[in-house]
Amino acid sequence: MTASGSDGRGDGWGDLLTAAQRGDAEAYRGFLKAIVPFVRAIARRRCWSEDMVDDVVQDVLLTVHRVRHTFQPGRPVEPWLAAIVVRRSIDAARKRGRIGRREIFNEAAYETFEDPDAKEPVDADASRTLARITEELSRGQKEAIDLVKIREMTLAEASLASGQSIASLKVNIHRAMKKLRLNLVKDPPE
Amino acid sequence: MTRTDSLIDQLAADVRPVRPLPPPALRALMALAAIALVAGLAIVVLGDVGELSQRYAGRETLLALEMSAMAATGVLAIIAAFSLSIPGRSKRWIAAPLPSFAVWLLLSGFGCYGDLVRRGGIAWKLGESMHCLSFILATSALIAPLLIWRLARAKPIDPLPVALLGGLGIAATSALVLIFFHPFTVTFIDLAVHVVAIGIVVGAFGLMNRRAFAPA
Repeated sequence: MTASGSDGRGDGWGDLLTAAQRGDAEAYRGFLKAIVPFVRAIARRRCWSEDMVDDVVQDVLLTVHRVRHTFQPGRPVEPWLAAIVVRRSIDAARKRGRIGRREIFNEAAYETFEDPDAKEPVDADASRTLARITEELSRGQKEAIDLVKIREMTLAEASLASGQSIASLKVNIHRAMKKLRLNLVKDPPE
Repeated sequence: MTRTDSLIDQLAADVRPVRPLPPPALRALMALAAIALVAGLAIVVLGDVGELSQRYAGRETLLALEMSAMAATGVLAIIAAFSLSIPGRSKRWIAAPLPSFAVWLLLSGFGCYGDLVRRGGIAWKLGESMHCLSFILATSALIAPLLIWRLARAKPIDPLPVALLGGLGIAATSALVLIFFHPFTVTFIDLAVHVVAIGIVVGAFGLMNRRAFAPA
């Protein structure tokens, strides 16, 4: 890290980001690590849970990755970065608001029987059914469902993890869900 | 290793060289130059500047002011759209084209009032106004892809203001070009139709903001 950056910050974020624009992976890693506390501090002012702050931090890192070409070398990094954090915090708050309006959390929703032991055979049946109905999915469809629906990654994270584009992830999820619905109707669980 | 650390490692491994975008004002001027070239060619080939001077004889100053206000609205709206497509630029850009837009409407209203005084009730009739609507919409549709393509390069993180300002810029430019093809002086009905056309273009840009501007 440089002693003094071109953006006037002592920690040289501008220099690191400019080097990252040239493809320097180490500078980029250094930049992303260095900005996390700054991003977290702004996100905390706008988020109401630590969980939400973590989501915003990760979303900001992904956004920085996608829009790093919009940073003009020589200009200060902070206003550019702060605007991204504020935007992503607003998006996260809206998303949670939308989900909160439509869904309620019911702790007992996934319980089948009061006695935990009694659930075992049902869980085993569920696994068998799941294995059967997912048999016909292609590898790409299985991967898309696993990353987005089961591990609850965002499309961008799933895209990065799988190498599939966001558009093909969407198509794969859509087709997989359609196939799963058809399979469930055709061959309902016992 | 936390999820954040692992994400940083993945992003760093994925980093490729990127060319920083030129300053927004420069990008806006390049887009404006392309739009001016297309509009200028259309006016020279298809417009009738001589007929325009006859139509506005004795009111040249008003016409010049009105056209300046339209041009200022278009130019400022497009520069503002390019500025706001970059994170961290001042939100005050949103207001940049509004004063010239207000002056444009005021001057047009003043011109319409003069027309009403001169011609009486005929100035209220809906004559060729629907052609103006089609003209503004068609010209906007022709210019829009170029502007959207240039604006989308920044993957704006908040695409709505960028889309609305881009729409206003396009609509103002189309209205400016329309003056060279307008077969009659502007009446209140024409002005209302122009405002509706501008509203349609700005609304359409606003509605397609997420699809068209490929936000990050």
